[in-house]
Amino acid sequence: MSTEEAVVYPTYVILGSGGHTAEMCKITKALLQQQRAKDSDKYQPIRFVAANNDETSDRQLLAVLGDSGTDSLLRVPRSRNVGQSWLSSVFTIIYALLWSCWLIWRDRPQLVLCNGPGTCVPYCYAAYMWRLLGRLPAHSRIVFVESFCRVETLSLSGRLLLPLADIFVVHWPALAKRYEDRPNLRYFGRLF
Amino acid sequence: MHLKTVYVTVGTTKFDALIEAITSESVLKALQSRECRQLILQHGNSLPKSVEESRLISQQYGIQLEQYTFRPNIEDIKAADLIIGHAGAGTCMDILTNGKVGLIVVNDELMDNHQQELARQLATERYLYTCKPSQLAVQLESLDFESLRPYESADENMLKFVKALDELMVQRWTHSASK
Repeated sequence: MSTEEAVVYPTYVILGSGGHTAEMCKITKALLQQQRAKDSDKYQPIRFVAANNDETSDRQLLAVLGDSGTDSLLRVPRSRNVGQSWLSSVFTIIYALLWSCWLIWRDRPQLVLCNGPGTCVPYCYAAYMWRLLGRLPAHSRIVFVESFCRVETLSLSGRLLLPLADIFVVHWPALAKRYEDRPNLRYFGRLF
Repeated sequence: MHLKTVYVTVGTTKFDALIEAITSESVLKALQSRECRQLILQHGNSLPKSVEESRLISQQYGIQLEQYTFRPNIEDIKAADLIIGHAGAGTCMDILTNGKVGLIVVNDELMDNHQQELARQLATERYLYTCKPSQLAVQLESLDFESLRPYESADENMLKFVKALDELMVQRWTHSASK
């Protein structure tokens, strides 16, 4: 066995709040479905990432995935709280960025999977950067699923991540049409 | 189709125009003609109707008005014959996944509210109806709620996505296995 194989490369699933987390739980559940045991094992171990003041994600994870969900939950600082001043935002954003860089460097995820909350942006950029710099395996991937309620326009997270996601999923035909020239953009019909 | 219990929800914000419209004479008349007996109003940060006003509504239209600010509303959704709601994604999905009949009232004072996109898309596909606050009475009189489509499961699409993801990752898996 080579040293390469001995390293465990987890899947990072970035949660947001409320609706984002509910959608992400459904996606993760589909990934781990029993009849796909052969492939679904390969996504393990899964680490969930949630902002440290997000109390609803815990409960939703527990409800959908049981203890295995909450056991692998990583708590991270939030980039910006609603109503936070501009100046203090600069510091909290830098702090959140450094955290994401550290976690991605430490855990070397094979896949970063996210669906649109602001929290996910630094994790995708960190994964992109560490892959370029060789810390992540060259075959590690970034997958972005746009928010279900985005029908005609991309979210801010979506616009920031469209250039670097390996697969960028939209749910509605108008978005698929608008970005049909993007090879990484995929449309499977609505996922929920 | 009789609409015995009608549930109105504005979500976590306020939507004065919807509260005003739903308690207007023309809408109450339309509800009465659809045999509405109970009107439950989740008014959020909008002001509720006074005790005197709800007494009048009960007397004039035979409609019992129940009002509250917020509470977990899954029971209200399940018990309703019609849900009239704001254009929030959560409200739209609650209606569809519970197999309910819904009329989404779009807040035309909000500019560039992307959540309205979802409600409009779902209306285009005939899963629910949308209208403006000013159209509420006319719509309640004329809409054929039985012609709405049931919301189909999207499991097949999800499977396609998972398959694409497997294909994307297989490179990585074969790469590490061959070492």
